Amino acid sequence: MALPSATLLAQAILAGLFTGALYGLLGLGLSLSWGMLRQINLAHFALAFLGAYLTYELSSRRGVDPLLSLVFIVPLFFALGAALHWVLTRFRVSPFNSLLVTFGVTVIIEALLQWIWTADYRKLESSYAEHKLRLGPLFLPLPELITLGLGVGISLAVWVALRRTDLGKAMRAAAEDAPIAAAFGVNQNALALMLSGLNAALAGVAGVCIALAYTLSPSQIYAWIGVVFAAVMLGGLGRPLGPLIAGCVIGVTEAVTMAVTAPSWAPLVSFSLLMLVLLARPGRVA
Amino acid sequence: MKRSLLLILAAGAGLATVPWLGLPAFYESILYLVLHWIALATSWNLLSGYSGYFSFGHGAFFGIGMYTTATLATRFDIPFLWTLPAAGAMAALFGTLLGAVAFRVQAVRAELFSLLTLAATFVVATLILNTPIDGGPGVYMSAVPVPAIGPTASGTFYLLALAVALLTVVAALAVYHSRFGTGLFAIHDDEDVAEVMGVPTFRYKLGAFALSCGLAGLVGGVQALFISYVTTGDTFTIALPLTVVLMAVLGGTRHWAGPIVGATAITLLLYSFTGGDTAIIGKGLTGLVLIVVILFMPEGLLGQALKWWQARRGPVAAVPPAPATAPAAASARRPIAGAGEVLLRARGVRKSFKGVQALRGVDLELRRGEILGLLGPNGSGKSTFINVASGHYAVTAGAIEFDGRRISGIPAHRIAHGGMARTYQIPRPFAHLTVLENVALPAMFGAASLDRRRAEAEAWQWLAFTGLSERAGALPGELNLHQRKFLEFARALASRPQVLMLDEVLSGLTPSEIDEAVALIRRIRDQGATIVFVEHVMRAVMALCDRVVVFHRGEVLAEGEPREVMQRPEVVSAYLGQAMAPACAELADEAPMPAGVAEPIHA
Amino acid sequence: MLEVQAIRVAYGQATALWDVSLAIGKGELLCVVGPNSAGKSTLINAIAGLHRVSAGRLVLDGQDISRLAPHRFCGQGIALVPEGRRLFTEMTVRENLEIGSYLGPARRERAASLERVCALFPALVEKLAQPAGALSGGQQQMVAIGRAMMARPRLLLLDEPSLGLAPGIVLDMFEAIRRIHADGIAVLLVEQNVSMALAVAQRAAVLEEGRIVAIGRPDELMARPELRRAYLGLEPGVEPAIA
Repeated sequence: MALPSATLLAQAILAGLFTGALYGLLGLGLSLSWGMLRQINLAHFALAFLGAYLTYELSSRRGVDPLLSLVFIVPLFFALGAALHWVLTRFRVSPFNSLLVTFGVTVIIEALLQWIWTADYRKLESSYAEHKLRLGPLFLPLPELITLGLGVGISLAVWVALRRTDLGKAMRAAAEDAPIAAAFGVNQNALALMLSGLNAALAGVAGVCIALAYTLSPSQIYAWIGVVFAAVMLGGLGRPLGPLIAGCVIGVTEAVTMAVTAPSWAPLVSFSLLMLVLLARPGRVA
Repeated sequence: MKRSLLLILAAGAGLATVPWLGLPAFYESILYLVLHWIALATSWNLLSGYSGYFSFGHGAFFGIGMYTTATLATRFDIPFLWTLPAAGAMAALFGTLLGAVAFRVQAVRAELFSLLTLAATFVVATLILNTPIDGGPGVYMSAVPVPAIGPTASGTFYLLALAVALLTVVAALAVYHSRFGTGLFAIHDDEDVAEVMGVPTFRYKLGAFALSCGLAGLVGGVQALFISYVTTGDTFTIALPLTVVLMAVLGGTRHWAGPIVGATAITLLLYSFTGGDTAIIGKGLTGLVLIVVILFMPEGLLGQALKWWQARRGPVAAVPPAPATAPAAASARRPIAGAGEVLLRARGVRKSFKGVQALRGVDLELRRGEILGLLGPNGSGKSTFINVASGHYAVTAGAIEFDGRRISGIPAHRIAHGGMARTYQIPRPFAHLTVLENVALPAMFGAASLDRRRAEAEAWQWLAFTGLSERAGALPGELNLHQRKFLEFARALASRPQVLMLDEVLSGLTPSEIDEAVALIRRIRDQGATIVFVEHVMRAVMALCDRVVVFHRGEVLAEGEPREVMQRPEVVSAYLGQAMAPACAELADEAPMPAGVAEPIHA
Repeated sequence: MLEVQAIRVAYGQATALWDVSLAIGKGELLCVVGPNSAGKSTLINAIAGLHRVSAGRLVLDGQDISRLAPHRFCGQGIALVPEGRRLFTEMTVRENLEIGSYLGPARRERAASLERVCALFPALVEKLAQPAGALSGGQQQMVAIGRAMMARPRLLLLDEPSLGLAPGIVLDMFEAIRRIHADGIAVLLVEQNVSMALAVAQRAAVLEEGRIVAIGRPDELMARPELRRAYLGLEPGVEPAIA
């Protein structure tokens, strides 16, 4: 177990940040849903992959630039998210049962993906992958940079929106005490629909990023669930910057572990962290 | 239960003949899978369905069993059959360790427990993958000899799977009908109340978890040789626990046979769509089925079917054991000896919640045979005191002694065993247990600690006493508020407590219902119970209480005979404000107090 | 201005209010007193729109508002100071006040309203940036009243504002309520602390076990037996036994 060179370590940290940003992007919608709407949306991951596959499709068949496909994906996913929320509230699904229902949705989406695109591995070939920026001895691939940019940018934007805008404050108030917020004119139902739509749209954006940097396969949906949940819980539910920061912490520790020991030790880090947080500070999370 | 057991054994015997029927191997494989999933789903349901703690880590313990067998058989050349008990034991051991840590933390419920167990799966997987247990390439079992139990190798595996499935189902059945199972179901509905009624919740949860994990380990052990090549990638996934959840929820988690229905249905569904495109449709259909079941049939297929069948049969006229012993017999068992001696003593009791001091040093005495009223304005600490005395909350400082023994700081279920019972202001019955079962539970787990038969007999008595006999077979949700309050009474009485604490039992009742309740409370006291009575309906307080204690801002303000106390200036002032005090002092036939004394005590 | 016409309110199967009627005139200060579990909070919550009435009507300036969705009540000019404050503890004091003026008309006058609230409660000025949960009980009550005032209401509903507060602070608060009323805003005050309530009220009603048992001017009510019976259980004419 030789200690790697400084360059390798720095590159590993960078890689960890890139992965962490994606964890953060994926986790943002999940965290907001769980923290503010009390819905555990397992389907978030499947939606992200749906977005990824759509991006792949638009790019390889129609030649649409992946970033441009956001224009199409964001509104579509907004509608999907609002629809899902409507179903969950219409049937008054408890937070725990929302986990099970969205698992059902996940399985359906997975089957859909497999039906349309088969289980073969698919890789998006885009011009972005060929660009690599250099920072001294370090390489910064463009797709990963885009992900980092989007992850940080969107998290900050959501953070500012929740903090500064009236709508954001109304959402926070309704999340804490909906009846009293209603007493001051806040229409919780409308806001919740909007928030759900936003969360699903975020999943779509994450999907575009996944398509840019990763090879796609329907079964890959499940590979992300564990570590993103860890990021969400470590970051604190409902905090916009939480998943990003926790995701980067997890990403960097994983990457450094991989560089110093063997790649297969990486999951131990995030999940042990998660277990420790769950046992030591459960109140902070739920 | 006997009938079900015979049915299961008969089915088992019948199924055991399959290997000798000369069917194509395909059928044996399908049946193996069905039995495999029945065992996994049923063992999962033992903890998660019964108690409500949904574990997403079933795959971890299945995997531990698998790798135990793999390691023992290949590394240490232990005969396959001997590895199986070891597989079960290892899985049970790890389950116990995890449970011992997880269940100690009060706040770990529902979602948190699910995520904790999910995380454990990945931790275990990583550890196994990176250590010599697996090391990466997986473990090849092809050199391990298959015992010759059946005519062929596949027949042997089938029989082993059958044996494990039978064991699991019988275990689930036995727990379902046992005291242990009743406790688990109570934990499912309301863990805090179950604890306060005497169910040792920590022990029971831990026991169920260990049993569930051990059985999963057994299934894993058999599977190890069946697939003959063991890897972490296929074993420690999220797919296994999710499938198991799906099967149990589909069939119905509240019944021992629910997972059997679900596992059979899903396995057959998935495998009748084999190969290529249809497999995908099958998968999509499974997801749809899960959604439909959660939204429309939360009881599961079996649960829903049972409900329809019961509705068809008409309301179950539950028959009380003849002849229903009159409450008079109960009073003979309870001498009012030692009336007047101090039964409960609180000294300097403090309780704070996040910086709010609900109780600031309360000194209180409760004497045997009396009805003590706890009064005071909103937020003065009366309910908090009841919660602290019954063990619902722990004291921040001070001591409470009951019958000479210290009870502050001991687990609530032990306080219940000592002879204390309470009702809740907003009734908290166990929603999925019938009225009879609700009343029988404290009789089983409380001070009396009766077996089920005697507990049910006792329950019938108390239902008669409170006038609920006709509703014995109903669920609490079907009762109106008045009946639910009386159910609270019956539950509290069924544990044969020495002290009964009533928390605002009269709120929300109509005047005539209040009169009925007051009469009932009198009858309860005449039987020899000592009662602590928190209430706001003043005419009831005046009618019932021998003594009252007035709380104000977390401390005891006044104590004594009701009419006398309610006229003291400081009490009047606490309720009505200073201006009214002089007016009431005139009523009291005393000289008006000097202005200085009429001020509230706390500035 | 507001007429409560024979309303009945139930929680599940428990009826909390039976055929309660009262009327609040424009700019009037009406107090409702009564012991715990009499239904005082239920009454206020029903008028604020938090709770559906199962029978009867709520009529505001001639318009039946009983069937409006909960979030529409504020727009009608009704603002609530809930029991136990119920501030948004995770948000700052300023943000809590801003939520009070969430709706359009109030939002436009937000700056002016904020000044008025700060003039009413000077102690809050330096606390504006702190999370509401960190304030003391009395300060939180001030924020709760301020939040309601930010909505520029015509009718202010106060649910047990003195709950859990030290007597000195209670005096300050009732002074503030008096000043708010002096500005011409109608006030419905529900209180457990009878003497303070009757000291500020123009009219008062006594609620016992979900029904109004007496209504009239404060000095009239003080002389009547209903108050003592409701709170202390003492029947008139019964000679108390002195220990």
